[in-house]
Amino acid sequence: MILLRHEIKRNLRSLLIWAISIGLLSAGCILLFKSLEESMQGMADAYSNMGAFSAALGMDKLNVSTLEGFYATEVGLMFAIGGAMFGAMTGAVMLSKEEEGHTCEFLVTLPWGRGYIYFWKYAAVVLLVLLFNIVTFLFILMGFAGIGEMPKVRELALYHGAQLCMQLEIGSICYLISAVTKRRQIGAALGLAMLLYMVDLMCRIIPDIENLKYITPYYFSNGADIFASGSVEKGMVLISLIAMAVSVAIGAVIYGRRDLAA
Amino acid sequence: MRERTDGHAIEIKGLTKTYGKHRGVQNISLTVEEGDIFGFLGPNGAGKSTTIRSLLGMLHFQQGEIKVLGMDSVRQQKEMLSQVGYMPSEAMFYPSMKVRDVIRFAADARGADCRQEAGQICQLLEVNENKRIEELSLGNRKKVSIVCAMQHRPKLLILDEPTSGLDPLMQEVFFGLLLKYNSQGTTVFLSSHVLPEVKKYCRNAAIIREGQIIKTDTVENLSHSNLRKVKVWEKGQEREFSYAGDMKELIHRLNGMDIEDVLIEEPTLDELFMHYYVSDQPK
Repeated sequence: MILLRHEIKRNLRSLLIWAISIGLLSAGCILLFKSLEESMQGMADAYSNMGAFSAALGMDKLNVSTLEGFYATEVGLMFAIGGAMFGAMTGAVMLSKEEEGHTCEFLVTLPWGRGYIYFWKYAAVVLLVLLFNIVTFLFILMGFAGIGEMPKVRELALYHGAQLCMQLEIGSICYLISAVTKRRQIGAALGLAMLLYMVDLMCRIIPDIENLKYITPYYFSNGADIFASGSVEKGMVLISLIAMAVSVAIGAVIYGRRDLAA
Repeated sequence: MRERTDGHAIEIKGLTKTYGKHRGVQNISLTVEEGDIFGFLGPNGAGKSTTIRSLLGMLHFQQGEIKVLGMDSVRQQKEMLSQVGYMPSEAMFYPSMKVRDVIRFAADARGADCRQEAGQICQLLEVNENKRIEELSLGNRKKVSIVCAMQHRPKLLILDEPTSGLDPLMQEVFFGLLLKYNSQGTTVFLSSHVLPEVKKYCRNAAIIREGQIIKTDTVENLSHSNLRKVKVWEKGQEREFSYAGDMKELIHRLNGMDIEDVLIEEPTLDELFMHYYVSDQPK
Protein backbone atom coordinates (compact mmCIF):
# COMPACT_ATOMS: atom_id res chain seq x y z
CA MET A 1 0.00 0.00 0.00
CA ILE A 2 2.92 2.35 0.75
CA LEU A 3 4.19 1.98 -2.79
CA LEU A 4 0.70 2.41 -4.22
CA ARG A 5 0.22 5.64 -2.29
CA HIS A 6 3.66 6.80 -3.36
CA GLU A 7 2.89 6.17 -7.03
CA ILE A 8 -0.50 7.86 -6.91
CA LYS A 9 1.12 10.95 -5.38
CA ARG A 10 3.87 10.99 -7.98
CA ASN A 11 1.41 10.60 -10.87
CA LEU A 12 -1.30 12.89 -9.54
CA ARG A 13 -0.34 15.89 -11.67
CA SER A 14 -0.18 13.87 -14.89
CA LEU A 15 -3.49 12.20 -14.00
CA LEU A 16 -5.23 15.50 -13.41
CA ILE A 17 -3.87 17.09 -16.59
CA TRP A 18 -5.02 14.17 -18.72
CA ALA A 19 -8.34 13.61 -16.98
CA ILE A 20 -9.31 17.27 -16.91
CA SER A 21 -8.22 17.81 -20.52
CA ILE A 22 -10.14 14.82 -21.89
CA GLY A 23 -13.03 15.53 -19.52
CA LEU A 24 -13.30 19.17 -20.61
CA LEU A 25 -13.05 18.23 -24.28
CA SER A 26 -15.77 15.61 -23.89
CA ALA A 27 -18.04 17.90 -21.85
CA GLY A 28 -17.47 20.77 -24.27
CA CYS A 29 -18.34 18.56 -27.18
CA ILE A 30 -21.55 17.41 -25.45
CA LEU A 31 -22.50 21.03 -24.74
CA LEU A 32 -22.10 21.78 -28.44
CA PHE A 33 -24.65 19.10 -29.31
CA LYS A 34 -27.74 21.24 -28.66
CA SER A 35 -26.56 24.04 -30.87
CA LEU A 36 -25.57 21.58 -33.59
CA GLU A 37 -28.63 19.34 -33.25
CA GLU A 38 -30.63 20.81 -36.12
CA SER A 39 -27.79 21.06 -38.56
CA MET A 40 -26.64 17.55 -37.59
CA GLN A 41 -29.60 15.93 -39.39
CA GLY A 42 -28.21 16.86 -42.77
CA MET A 43 -24.74 15.77 -41.70
CA ALA A 44 -26.15 12.49 -40.41
CA ASP A 45 -27.57 11.66 -43.83
CA ALA A 46 -24.27 12.52 -45.46
CA TYR A 47 -22.20 10.56 -42.91
CA SER A 48 -24.34 7.45 -43.15
CA ASN A 49 -23.84 7.33 -46.93
CA MET A 50 -20.09 7.51 -46.95
CA GLY A 51 -19.61 3.76 -47.31
CA ALA A 52 -16.42 2.44 -45.75
CA PHE A 53 -15.79 5.67 -43.87
CA SER A 54 -19.21 5.44 -42.23
CA ALA A 55 -18.56 1.81 -41.30
CA ALA A 56 -15.14 2.62 -39.87
CA LEU A 57 -16.53 5.27 -37.54
CA GLY A 58 -19.76 3.41 -36.77
CA MET A 59 -21.92 6.06 -38.41
CA ASP A 60 -23.75 3.43 -40.44
CA LYS A 61 -25.26 2.06 -37.23
CA LEU A 62 -26.27 5.19 -35.37
CA ASN A 63 -27.79 8.49 -36.29
CA VAL A 64 -25.24 11.16 -35.47
CA SER A 65 -28.03 13.71 -34.98
CA THR A 66 -29.26 11.84 -31.87
CA LEU A 67 -27.48 12.27 -28.55
CA GLU A 68 -26.52 8.56 -28.46
CA GLY A 69 -25.15 8.70 -31.99
CA PHE A 70 -23.32 11.98 -31.41
CA TYR A 71 -21.87 10.78 -28.11
CA ALA A 72 -20.84 7.34 -29.38
CA THR A 73 -19.14 8.60 -32.52
CA GLU A 74 -17.88 12.14 -31.86
CA VAL A 75 -17.24 12.26 -28.11
CA GLY A 76 -16.42 8.55 -28.03
CA LEU A 77 -13.60 8.99 -30.56
CA MET A 78 -11.83 11.58 -28.39
CA PHE A 79 -12.45 9.68 -25.20
CA ALA A 80 -11.24 6.36 -26.64
CA ILE A 81 -8.01 7.73 -28.09
CA GLY A 82 -7.29 10.00 -25.11
CA GLY A 83 -8.00 7.23 -22.62
CA ALA A 84 -5.91 4.70 -24.51
CA MET A 85 -2.99 7.13 -24.68
CA PHE A 86 -3.20 7.80 -20.95
CA GLY A 87 -3.35 4.07 -20.15
CA ALA A 88 -0.44 3.36 -22.50
CA MET A 89 1.77 6.09 -21.06
CA THR A 90 0.99 5.22 -17.47
CA GLY A 91 1.84 1.56 -18.01
CA ALA A 92 4.93 2.21 -20.11
CA VAL A 93 6.76 4.39 -17.59
CA MET A 94 5.76 2.76 -14.32
CA LEU A 95 8.78 0.47 -13.93
CA SER A 96 11.27 1.80 -16.45
CA LYS A 97 11.24 5.32 -14.96
CA GLU A 98 13.06 3.92 -11.93
CA GLU A 99 15.95 2.67 -14.01
CA GLU A 100 16.04 5.72 -16.26
CA GLY A 101 15.96 8.05 -13.24
CA HIS A 102 18.54 5.91 -11.38
CA THR A 103 16.13 5.53 -8.45
CA CYS A 104 15.96 1.78 -8.96
CA GLU A 105 18.88 1.15 -6.61
CA PHE A 106 17.02 2.98 -3.83
CA LEU A 107 13.71 1.25 -4.51
CA VAL A 108 14.83 -2.35 -4.90
CA THR A 109 17.01 -2.28 -1.80
CA LEU A 110 13.99 -1.52 0.36
CA PRO A 111 12.82 -4.75 2.01
CA TRP A 112 10.00 -5.51 -0.39
CA GLY A 113 11.24 -7.85 -3.07
CA ARG A 114 10.64 -7.45 -6.75
CA GLY A 115 7.32 -9.31 -6.72
CA TYR A 116 5.89 -6.78 -4.28
CA ILE A 117 7.18 -3.85 -6.31
CA TYR A 118 5.83 -5.34 -9.52
CA PHE A 119 2.40 -6.05 -7.99
CA TRP A 120 1.87 -2.66 -6.35
CA LYS A 121 3.14 -0.72 -9.32
CA TYR A 122 0.66 -2.57 -11.49
CA ALA A 123 -2.03 -1.82 -8.93
CA ALA A 124 -1.04 1.85 -9.33
CA VAL A 125 -1.51 1.62 -13.11
CA VAL A 126 -4.98 0.11 -12.61
CA LEU A 127 -5.96 2.70 -10.00
CA LEU A 128 -4.68 5.62 -12.08
CA VAL A 129 -6.64 4.43 -15.12
CA LEU A 130 -9.71 3.98 -12.91
CA LEU A 131 -9.33 7.48 -11.45
CA PHE A 132 -8.88 8.89 -14.95
CA ASN A 133 -12.20 7.33 -15.95
CA ILE A 134 -13.99 8.56 -12.83
CA VAL A 135 -12.80 12.16 -13.28
CA THR A 136 -13.55 12.28 -17.01
CA PHE A 137 -16.93 10.66 -16.45
CA LEU A 138 -17.81 13.36 -13.92
CA PHE A 139 -17.07 15.99 -16.57
CA ILE A 140 -19.17 14.02 -19.08
CA LEU A 141 -22.07 13.91 -16.61
CA MET A 142 -21.73 17.67 -16.17
CA GLY A 143 -21.97 17.99 -19.94
CA PHE A 144 -25.16 15.95 -19.99
CA ALA A 145 -26.52 18.02 -17.10
CA GLY A 146 -25.69 21.14 -19.11
CA ILE A 147 -27.86 20.07 -22.04
CA GLY A 148 -30.51 18.49 -19.80
CA GLU A 149 -30.42 15.21 -21.66
CA MET A 150 -28.64 11.88 -21.24
CA PRO A 151 -28.15 8.69 -23.25
CA LYS A 152 -29.60 5.43 -21.92
CA VAL A 153 -27.86 4.61 -18.65
CA ARG A 154 -27.32 0.91 -19.45
CA GLU A 155 -25.59 1.60 -22.78
CA LEU A 156 -23.59 4.42 -21.23
CA ALA A 157 -22.41 2.14 -18.40
CA LEU A 158 -21.59 -0.67 -20.82
CA TYR A 159 -19.66 1.70 -23.06
CA HIS A 160 -17.59 3.17 -20.22
CA GLY A 161 -16.99 -0.28 -18.73
CA ALA A 162 -15.69 -1.49 -22.10
CA GLN A 163 -13.54 1.62 -22.46
CA LEU A 164 -12.03 0.97 -19.03
CA CYS A 165 -11.28 -2.59 -20.05
CA MET A 166 -9.68 -1.37 -23.30
CA GLN A 167 -7.49 1.15 -21.49
CA LEU A 168 -6.43 -1.47 -18.95
CA GLU A 169 -5.51 -3.91 -21.71
CA ILE A 170 -3.31 -1.34 -23.45
CA GLY A 171 -1.92 -0.23 -20.08
CA SER A 172 -1.07 -3.85 -19.21
CA ILE A 173 0.71 -4.48 -22.51
CA CYS A 174 2.67 -1.27 -21.98
CA TYR A 175 3.43 -2.33 -18.40
CA LEU A 176 5.03 -5.45 -19.88
CA ILE A 177 7.12 -3.16 -22.11
CA SER A 178 8.07 -1.19 -19.00
CA ALA A 179 9.20 -4.39 -17.26
CA VAL A 180 11.64 -5.30 -20.02
CA THR A 181 13.15 -1.91 -20.82
CA LYS A 182 15.54 0.43 -19.04
CA ARG A 183 14.13 3.63 -20.52
CA ARG A 184 10.68 5.18 -20.64
CA GLN A 185 9.14 3.93 -23.88
CA ILE A 186 6.53 6.68 -24.25
CA GLY A 187 6.89 6.79 -28.03
CA ALA A 188 6.38 3.04 -28.33
CA ALA A 189 3.41 3.21 -25.96
CA LEU A 190 1.65 5.99 -27.86
CA GLY A 191 2.53 4.24 -31.12
CA LEU A 192 0.93 1.04 -29.86
CA ALA A 193 -2.23 2.90 -28.79
CA MET A 194 -2.53 4.50 -32.24
CA LEU A 195 -1.62 1.32 -34.10
CA LEU A 196 -4.38 -0.64 -32.36
CA TYR A 197 -6.82 2.14 -33.24
CA MET A 198 -5.74 1.95 -36.88
CA VAL A 199 -6.15 -1.84 -36.83
CA ASP A 200 -9.72 -1.30 -35.59
CA LEU A 201 -10.48 1.10 -38.43
CA MET A 202 -8.90 -1.16 -41.04
CA CYS A 203 -10.62 -4.36 -39.96
CA ARG A 204 -13.98 -2.60 -40.11
CA ILE A 205 -13.30 -1.50 -43.68
CA ILE A 206 -11.53 -4.51 -45.19
CA PRO A 207 -13.44 -7.82 -44.83
CA ASP A 208 -10.29 -9.92 -45.50
CA ILE A 209 -8.67 -8.71 -42.28
CA GLU A 210 -11.79 -8.80 -40.16
CA ASN A 211 -10.17 -11.30 -37.79
CA LEU A 212 -7.83 -8.59 -36.62
CA LYS A 213 -10.74 -7.41 -34.51
CA TYR A 214 -9.63 -10.01 -31.96
CA ILE A 215 -6.33 -8.27 -31.34
CA THR A 216 -7.53 -4.70 -30.98
CA PRO A 217 -9.44 -3.74 -27.83
CA TYR A 218 -10.92 -0.73 -29.65
CA TYR A 219 -13.19 -3.15 -31.49
CA PHE A 220 -15.25 -4.47 -28.59
CA SER A 221 -15.25 -1.07 -26.85
CA ASN A 222 -16.55 0.79 -29.90
CA GLY A 223 -19.25 3.24 -28.84
CA ALA A 224 -21.35 2.92 -31.99
CA ASP A 225 -21.51 -0.88 -31.69
CA ILE A 226 -22.41 -0.78 -28.00
CA PHE A 227 -25.06 1.95 -28.29
CA ALA A 228 -26.53 0.28 -31.41
CA SER A 229 -26.65 -3.27 -30.03
CA GLY A 230 -27.06 -2.49 -26.35
CA SER A 231 -24.39 -5.07 -25.51
CA VAL A 232 -20.66 -5.80 -25.46
CA GLU A 233 -19.28 -8.97 -27.04
CA LYS A 234 -18.45 -11.11 -24.00
CA GLY A 235 -16.01 -13.32 -25.86
CA MET A 236 -13.93 -10.35 -26.85
CA VAL A 237 -13.93 -8.99 -23.32
CA LEU A 238 -12.67 -12.40 -22.22
CA ILE A 239 -9.87 -12.21 -24.82
CA SER A 240 -9.02 -8.76 -23.46
CA LEU A 241 -8.86 -10.05 -19.88
CA ILE A 242 -6.65 -12.94 -20.99
CA ALA A 243 -4.35 -10.51 -22.85
CA MET A 244 -4.06 -8.43 -19.66
CA ALA A 245 -3.32 -11.46 -17.49
CA VAL A 246 -0.75 -12.87 -19.94
CA SER A 247 1.01 -9.49 -20.32
CA VAL A 248 1.22 -8.99 -16.57
CA ALA A 249 2.38 -12.58 -15.98
CA ILE A 250 5.11 -12.42 -18.65
CA GLY A 251 6.22 -9.06 -17.30
CA ALA A 252 6.42 -10.47 -13.77
CA VAL A 253 8.62 -13.37 -14.88
CA ILE A 254 10.95 -11.11 -16.87
CA TYR A 255 11.12 -8.41 -14.20
CA GLY A 256 11.87 -11.00 -11.54
CA ARG A 257 14.80 -12.41 -13.52
CA ARG A 258 16.29 -9.22 -14.93
CA ASP A 259 19.45 -7.56 -13.78
CA LEU A 260 18.40 -4.09 -12.73
CA ALA A 261 20.47 -1.15 -13.82
CA ALA A 262 21.56 1.19 -11.07
CA MET B 1 13.41 -15.30 13.36
CA ARG B 2 17.09 -14.93 14.11
CA GLU B 3 19.28 -16.68 11.54
CA ARG B 4 22.46 -18.58 12.34
CA THR B 5 25.29 -16.40 11.20
CA ASP B 6 28.27 -18.42 12.48
CA GLY B 7 29.77 -15.07 13.29
CA HIS B 8 29.77 -13.98 9.66
CA ALA B 9 27.88 -10.89 8.54
CA ILE B 10 28.70 -11.56 4.89
CA GLU B 11 29.76 -14.85 3.38
CA ILE B 12 30.37 -15.02 -0.36
CA LYS B 13 31.39 -18.34 -1.87
CA GLY B 14 32.50 -18.72 -5.47
CA LEU B 15 30.53 -15.76 -6.82
CA THR B 16 30.67 -15.47 -10.59
CA LYS B 17 28.73 -12.83 -12.47
CA THR B 18 29.22 -12.07 -16.15
CA TYR B 19 27.36 -9.65 -18.41
CA GLY B 20 27.17 -11.58 -21.66
CA LYS B 21 30.73 -11.65 -22.93
CA HIS B 22 31.83 -8.99 -20.46
CA ARG B 23 33.56 -9.85 -17.22
CA GLY B 24 31.87 -8.96 -14.00
CA VAL B 25 33.40 -10.90 -11.14
CA GLN B 26 34.93 -14.37 -11.18
CA ASN B 27 34.86 -16.94 -8.43
CA ILE B 28 34.90 -14.43 -5.60
CA SER B 29 34.96 -15.71 -2.04
CA LEU B 30 34.86 -13.32 0.86
CA THR B 31 33.94 -13.38 4.53
CA VAL B 32 33.15 -10.39 6.71
CA GLU B 33 32.94 -11.04 10.42
CA GLU B 34 30.12 -9.59 12.50
CA GLY B 35 31.07 -6.31 14.11
CA ASP B 36 33.86 -5.62 11.63
CA ILE B 37 34.48 -2.51 9.57
CA PHE B 38 35.57 -4.08 6.32
CA GLY B 39 37.13 -2.18 3.43
CA PHE B 40 36.53 -3.31 -0.13
CA LEU B 41 39.16 -1.78 -2.33
CA GLY B 42 39.73 -1.73 -6.03
CA PRO B 43 40.11 0.54 -9.01
CA ASN B 44 37.12 1.62 -11.11
CA GLY B 45 35.61 -1.29 -13.03
CA ALA B 46 37.28 -3.89 -10.80
CA GLY B 47 33.95 -5.43 -9.77
CA LYS B 48 33.17 -3.71 -6.46
CA SER B 49 29.70 -2.55 -7.43
CA THR B 50 28.93 -5.85 -9.17
CA THR B 51 29.75 -7.68 -5.94
CA ILE B 52 27.64 -5.28 -3.87
CA ARG B 53 24.68 -5.41 -6.27
CA SER B 54 24.85 -9.20 -6.31
CA LEU B 55 24.86 -9.11 -2.52
CA LEU B 56 21.71 -7.02 -2.47
CA GLY B 57 19.85 -9.05 -5.10
CA MET B 58 19.90 -6.44 -7.86
CA LEU B 59 21.90 -8.76 -10.10
CA HIS B 60 21.38 -12.44 -10.78
CA PHE B 61 24.69 -14.22 -10.61
CA GLN B 62 25.58 -17.32 -12.56
CA GLN B 63 27.45 -19.20 -9.84
CA GLY B 64 28.07 -19.03 -6.17
CA GLU B 65 26.30 -18.49 -2.92
CA ILE B 66 25.87 -15.37 -0.83
CA LYS B 67 24.78 -15.30 2.76
CA VAL B 68 24.11 -12.03 4.51
CA LEU B 69 23.54 -12.14 8.27
CA GLY B 70 23.05 -15.87 7.87
CA MET B 71 20.36 -15.45 5.24
CA ASP B 72 20.50 -16.56 1.64
CA SER B 73 20.59 -13.35 -0.39
CA VAL B 74 18.41 -14.82 -3.13
CA ARG B 75 15.82 -16.88 -1.28
CA GLN B 76 15.58 -14.66 1.80
CA GLN B 77 16.15 -11.34 0.09
CA LYS B 78 13.29 -9.49 1.80
CA GLU B 79 14.28 -10.57 5.30
CA MET B 80 17.89 -9.83 4.53
CA LEU B 81 17.19 -6.33 3.20
CA SER B 82 15.13 -5.46 6.27
CA GLN B 83 18.31 -5.71 8.36
CA VAL B 84 20.63 -4.00 5.91
CA GLY B 85 21.25 -0.32 5.31
CA TYR B 86 22.59 0.45 1.87
CA MET B 87 24.13 3.61 0.57
CA PRO B 88 24.75 3.56 -3.18
CA SER B 89 27.61 5.44 -4.81
CA GLU B 90 25.12 7.56 -6.75
CA ALA B 91 22.56 8.88 -4.31
CA MET B 92 19.50 9.29 -6.53
CA PHE B 93 15.99 9.92 -5.26
CA TYR B 94 12.72 11.15 -6.70
CA PRO B 95 13.47 14.75 -7.75
CA SER B 96 10.11 16.31 -6.91
CA MET B 97 9.90 14.79 -3.43
CA LYS B 98 10.90 16.66 -0.30
CA VAL B 99 13.80 15.30 1.73
CA ARG B 100 11.46 14.66 4.67
CA ASP B 101 9.14 12.58 2.47
CA VAL B 102 11.98 10.49 1.02
CA ILE B 103 13.29 9.69 4.51
CA ARG B 104 9.77 8.89 5.70
CA PHE B 105 9.13 6.71 2.63
CA ALA B 106 12.27 4.66 3.34
CA ALA B 107 11.24 4.26 6.99
CA ASP B 108 7.64 3.32 6.10
CA ALA B 109 8.94 0.69 3.69
CA ARG B 110 10.61 -0.93 6.68
CA GLY B 111 7.49 -0.60 8.78
CA ALA B 112 9.44 1.31 11.38
CA ASP B 113 9.04 4.61 13.16
CA CYS B 114 12.52 6.05 12.68
CA ARG B 115 11.63 9.70 13.24
CA GLN B 116 13.79 10.15 16.31
CA GLU B 117 16.87 8.48 14.84
CA ALA B 118 16.38 10.20 11.48
CA GLY B 119 15.99 13.56 13.20
CA GLN B 120 19.24 13.09 15.08
CA ILE B 121 21.20 12.09 11.98
CA CYS B 122 19.70 14.98 10.01
CA GLN B 123 20.75 17.37 12.74
CA LEU B 124 24.30 16.01 12.81
CA LEU B 125 24.64 16.12 9.03
CA GLU B 126 22.84 19.47 8.75
CA VAL B 127 20.22 18.11 6.37
CA ASN B 128 17.44 20.53 5.40
CA GLU B 129 14.38 18.29 5.39
CA ASN B 130 12.15 20.86 3.74
CA LYS B 131 14.09 21.06 0.49
CA ARG B 132 13.16 19.14 -2.61
CA ILE B 133 15.62 16.53 -3.86
CA GLU B 134 16.01 18.40 -7.16
CA GLU B 135 17.37 21.39 -5.21
CA LEU B 136 20.16 19.38 -3.57
CA SER B 137 23.81 19.08 -4.55
CA LEU B 138 25.47 15.67 -4.80
CA GLY B 139 26.88 16.09 -1.29
CA ASN B 140 23.48 16.87 0.18
CA ARG B 141 21.90 13.93 -1.67
CA LYS B 142 24.62 11.78 -0.13
CA LYS B 143 23.56 13.01 3.29
CA VAL B 144 19.96 11.99 2.60
CA SER B 145 21.27 8.62 1.51
CA ILE B 146 23.16 8.28 4.81
CA VAL B 147 19.96 9.02 6.75
CA CYS B 148 17.99 6.46 4.71
CA ALA B 149 20.69 3.83 5.25
CA MET B 150 21.15 4.39 9.00
CA GLN B 151 17.81 5.53 10.42
CA HIS B 152 16.50 2.01 11.06
CA ARG B 153 19.69 1.00 12.93
CA PRO B 154 20.59 -1.87 10.59
CA LYS B 155 22.71 -4.85 11.58
CA LEU B 156 24.78 -4.43 8.44
CA LEU B 157 25.69 -1.26 6.59
CA ILE B 158 26.80 -1.63 2.98
CA LEU B 159 28.33 1.58 1.73
CA ASP B 160 29.46 2.07 -1.84
CA GLU B 161 31.99 4.90 -2.00
CA PRO B 162 30.16 6.80 0.72
CA THR B 163 32.36 9.86 1.06
CA SER B 164 32.50 10.99 -2.56
CA GLY B 165 30.83 14.39 -2.69
CA LEU B 166 31.02 15.00 1.07
CA ASP B 167 33.21 17.83 2.31
CA PRO B 168 35.99 16.92 4.79
CA LEU B 169 34.00 18.16 7.77
CA MET B 170 31.00 16.03 6.85
CA GLN B 171 33.28 13.06 6.18
CA GLU B 172 34.42 13.32 9.81
CA VAL B 173 30.81 13.49 11.02
CA PHE B 174 29.92 10.55 8.79
CA PHE B 175 32.73 8.36 10.12
CA GLY B 176 31.79 9.41 13.63
CA LEU B 177 28.30 8.05 12.98
CA LEU B 178 29.75 4.91 11.45
CA LEU B 179 31.90 4.26 14.51
CA LYS B 180 28.93 4.91 16.79
CA TYR B 181 26.77 2.32 15.01
CA ASN B 182 29.71 -0.08 14.82
CA SER B 183 30.24 0.21 18.57
CA GLN B 184 26.58 -0.75 18.97
CA GLY B 185 27.10 -3.92 16.94
CA THR B 186 26.56 -2.85 13.33
CA THR B 187 28.88 -4.46 10.80
CA VAL B 188 30.17 -2.11 8.12
CA PHE B 189 31.11 -3.14 4.58
CA LEU B 190 32.72 -0.16 2.92
CA SER B 191 33.66 0.00 -0.73
CA SER B 192 36.16 2.72 -1.44
CA HIS B 193 39.20 3.78 -3.32
CA VAL B 194 40.14 6.43 -0.78
CA LEU B 195 42.99 4.60 0.92
CA PRO B 196 43.58 6.84 3.95
CA GLU B 197 39.97 6.41 5.10
CA VAL B 198 40.26 2.65 4.77
CA LYS B 199 43.50 2.67 6.74
CA LYS B 200 42.00 4.92 9.40
CA TYR B 201 38.64 3.21 9.92
CA CYS B 202 38.72 -0.37 8.60
CA ARG B 203 40.08 -3.36 10.45
CA ASN B 204 40.06 -5.79 7.54
CA ALA B 205 40.06 -5.28 3.81
CA ALA B 206 39.92 -7.10 0.51
CA ILE B 207 41.39 -5.91 -2.74
CA ILE B 208 39.59 -6.68 -5.96
CA ARG B 209 41.12 -6.31 -9.38
CA GLU B 210 39.76 -7.34 -12.78
CA GLY B 211 36.89 -9.20 -11.15
CA GLN B 212 38.98 -11.26 -8.77
CA ILE B 213 39.89 -10.89 -5.11
CA ILE B 214 43.67 -10.67 -5.04
CA LYS B 215 44.23 -10.08 -1.36
CA THR B 216 42.25 -10.27 1.89
CA ASP B 217 43.88 -9.44 5.18
CA THR B 218 43.83 -7.08 8.10
CA VAL B 219 44.54 -3.49 7.13
CA GLU B 220 47.49 -3.67 9.53
CA ASN B 221 49.02 -6.61 7.63
CA LEU B 222 48.21 -5.11 4.25
CA SER B 223 49.99 -1.92 5.26
CA HIS B 224 53.03 -3.79 6.50
CA SER B 225 53.61 -6.43 3.89
CA ASN B 226 57.01 -7.71 2.87
CA LEU B 227 56.74 -5.59 -0.21
CA ARG B 228 59.68 -3.21 -0.58
CA LYS B 229 60.33 -0.34 -2.88
CA VAL B 230 63.83 -0.81 -4.24
CA LYS B 231 65.75 2.00 -5.88
CA VAL B 232 69.17 1.25 -7.42
CA TRP B 233 71.69 3.48 -9.12
CA GLU B 234 73.63 1.52 -11.71
CA LYS B 235 76.10 3.04 -14.18
CA GLY B 236 74.72 6.49 -13.46
CA GLN B 237 71.16 5.39 -14.10
CA GLU B 238 68.36 5.17 -11.56
CA ARG B 239 66.03 2.16 -11.58
CA GLU B 240 63.07 1.56 -9.29
CA PHE B 241 61.05 -1.59 -8.73
CA SER B 242 58.89 -3.31 -6.13
CA TYR B 243 60.01 -6.51 -4.51
CA ALA B 244 58.16 -8.95 -2.28
CA GLY B 245 59.96 -12.08 -1.30
CA ASP B 246 63.00 -13.48 0.38
CA MET B 247 65.42 -10.70 1.33
CA LYS B 248 68.41 -13.02 0.88
CA GLU B 249 67.36 -13.58 -2.72
CA LEU B 250 67.12 -9.81 -3.27
CA ILE B 251 70.58 -9.22 -1.80
CA HIS B 252 71.94 -12.08 -3.88
CA ARG B 253 70.52 -10.51 -7.03
CA LEU B 254 71.81 -7.07 -6.13
CA ASN B 255 75.22 -8.56 -5.40
CA GLY B 256 75.62 -9.59 -9.01
CA MET B 257 74.95 -6.09 -10.29
CA ASP B 258 77.32 -3.18 -10.74
CA ILE B 259 75.53 -1.02 -8.18
CA GLU B 260 76.66 2.43 -7.10
CA ASP B 261 73.94 2.92 -4.50
CA VAL B 262 70.78 1.22 -3.28
CA LEU B 263 67.73 2.33 -1.28
CA ILE B 264 65.26 -0.23 0.09
CA GLU B 265 62.21 1.20 1.84
CA GLU B 266 58.67 0.35 2.88
CA PRO B 267 56.11 1.60 0.39
CA THR B 268 53.43 4.07 1.44
CA LEU B 269 49.89 2.72 1.69
CA ASP B 270 49.01 4.35 -1.60
CA GLU B 271 51.99 2.77 -3.30
CA LEU B 272 51.18 -0.56 -1.75
CA PHE B 273 47.64 -0.59 -3.07
CA MET B 274 48.74 0.74 -6.42
CA HIS B 275 51.03 -2.26 -6.59
CA TYR B 276 48.07 -4.58 -6.05
CA TYR B 277 45.97 -2.68 -8.55
CA VAL B 278 48.40 -2.81 -11.45
CA SER B 279 50.35 -6.02 -11.15
CA ASP B 280 49.46 -9.61 -10.58
CA GLN B 281 52.40 -10.83 -8.56
CA PRO B 282 55.04 -8.92 -6.67
CA LYS B 283 58.29 -8.80 -8.56
